[in-house]
Amino acid sequence: MSDLLADDSEWADVVPIRQYENVNPVAPIFYTEEYKDATDYFRAVVKSGETSPRVLKLTEKIIRMNPAHYTAWQHRYKTLVALKSDLEEELRLMDDLAKQFMKTYQVWHHRRLLLTAINSVDAAVLELEFLRDVLDVDTKNYHTWSYRQWILAHFNNETRLWARERAYLEDLLEADVRNNSAWHHRFFVVYASGIRLGDEDREQVRRRELSFAKEKIALAPNNPSAWNYLRGVLEFTKTPFVELASFVEPYTAVQPPSASEEVVDLDNPLPTESAQLPCVAALEFMADAYEKQGGDATAKAVEIWKSLANERDVMRKKYWEYRIRDAL
Amino acid sequence: MGPTLDIPLHVKYIQSLGENKDDLVYHLTAHLRMNAVYWGLVALCVMGHKDALDRDEMIEYVMSCWDDDVGAFGAHPDHDAHLLSTLCAIQILTIQDALERVDTARVAKYILSLQQPSGVFAGDSFGEVDTRFLCCAVLALSLIGHLHELDVEKTVGYIRRCRNFDGGFGAQEGAESHAAQVFVCVAALAVLDRLDELDEDMLGWWLAERQLPNGGLNGRPEKLEDVCYSFWVLSALSIMNKIPWINDEKLTQFILSAQDLEHGGIADRPGDQPDVFHTNFGVAGLSLLGYPGLEDLDPVYCMPASVIEAKGLRKGWKALPRRASA
Repeated sequence: MSDLLADDSEWADVVPIRQYENVNPVAPIFYTEEYKDATDYFRAVVKSGETSPRVLKLTEKIIRMNPAHYTAWQHRYKTLVALKSDLEEELRLMDDLAKQFMKTYQVWHHRRLLLTAINSVDAAVLELEFLRDVLDVDTKNYHTWSYRQWILAHFNNETRLWARERAYLEDLLEADVRNNSAWHHRFFVVYASGIRLGDEDREQVRRRELSFAKEKIALAPNNPSAWNYLRGVLEFTKTPFVELASFVEPYTAVQPPSASEEVVDLDNPLPTESAQLPCVAALEFMADAYEKQGGDATAKAVEIWKSLANERDVMRKKYWEYRIRDAL
Repeated sequence: MGPTLDIPLHVKYIQSLGENKDDLVYHLTAHLRMNAVYWGLVALCVMGHKDALDRDEMIEYVMSCWDDDVGAFGAHPDHDAHLLSTLCAIQILTIQDALERVDTARVAKYILSLQQPSGVFAGDSFGEVDTRFLCCAVLALSLIGHLHELDVEKTVGYIRRCRNFDGGFGAQEGAESHAAQVFVCVAALAVLDRLDELDEDMLGWWLAERQLPNGGLNGRPEKLEDVCYSFWVLSALSIMNKIPWINDEKLTQFILSAQDLEHGGIADRPGDQPDVFHTNFGVAGLSLLGYPGLEDLDPVYCMPASVIEAKGLRKGWKALPRRASA
């Protein structure tokens, strides 16, 4: 049973346009028969401007074979609009395709166009749910996260959309504390997209975010995302680095504290016994804190940079030497 | 002492790309065909074998991708025009000294029509927006001599809004910092003489942190190394005159170990299948690192430095000095 449109009576009225109709190709492409057949008929309907149900079937066929065929997506969307199709049904139809081809930009852009046209918070809620399934498969997929950010900002609904983001991110970071996309998204939700409902007390938010970052650093000290987040919060809230010194210092020691040592200080969680110390990011942090203090503290920063250049972070030796020169 | 760069082998690899290939892969990448020709050509130029692909054939191919409906280039004959393929077409024709074949005024009009109210650019009429397209627009306009028609404040304003808390840049406002997006923002700012928008120390450090113990570079924290970041990260650093912040020896070794020394080409990492994309960026990275026997590359445009200099478009970037021997 042939899959070719050339053998399908439904398409008998259309004259397919072969690739290279009037061109002598320099870089010929060798197609499989089915793809060639489908795109030949597609070229014909683009030329005639047809936007009918069979075009929907045809564009679906093409994008399932080649999700990067952006003209097929373009024409599909045009056809959906012309036919006044149920766009939410279209979203559902495209769900498995999105999961399969999540690394293809077109898949996400199509959904963005659909969401924009549907224009309902209900649809946005469902979409955020769907994205959780996608992120389950690839927790760091760049397009998915970027699309999620767009949905939140575009519909901008506190109670139904923004409200559950932080809890979702905490689940993700429970599963993988090194997920940089999740850390970035947290900053986006808390600090880079307006003030969340319930976050009006900015001092409380500052303490909460610093506490969160510290807790995660204690869990896994050699995690650049957590340290970048910590620094980001400090810079954004104009908190002096030195305020975190008593928390950070234990992470610059060569050994974790023994279990018997120290009263438990909830504000300053200590490294666990299994922590890999000294933590390079902690050393970098202390050096920056000393440098910001200036005066006598600068010498302490230089000592740390020397140890980084010569022992702890030799890969970036020339960077640390630059910091030394720059400070002196 | 690891492998050296096997230039003749990679030249043969690039030449073979136009020939009979595995059907499926080849036709599914039609939308990248113009880009592929550009990557192949730049790699050849950097390796000193520009003439390994026929110039006339290449020019005719590029011109066959002209979309006369809108005044720009698609990726393949009868593909709709797109900013990505339009930039590549212009880059190819510039390198081949055949830009006079193009109605550049029409192309400028097409490019400018894709700018959105926010300042970002769409890639085509489908509407996907990304700082990559903003960079394509700026590079293309500058190559065809129409940069003065661009609203610089509007364009720079969007880049500024893409700057994240870690000093990096994403694909759109709010998106995660990613080395490739950092490159496109930095390159665009370089062309527009607006590097003052960068916190160079912070960004330079973030970029230096991409280097992993194996010497390779990743695109964001806790992700895998990939040869293409040898270009994205390195060129951004060279534009800021901070290439020394990367360990050049270890990165060079990493790139060389990703070569396919049997069939030619460079892969994303050692042991994987090579492709022309990674071959180009691997060779480009090596050029910026001063690897001997290669031609100079302009990191802003990812084109031969001599070509960009001849057009008077060279900016103040610094690569590592070319070594006499490996």
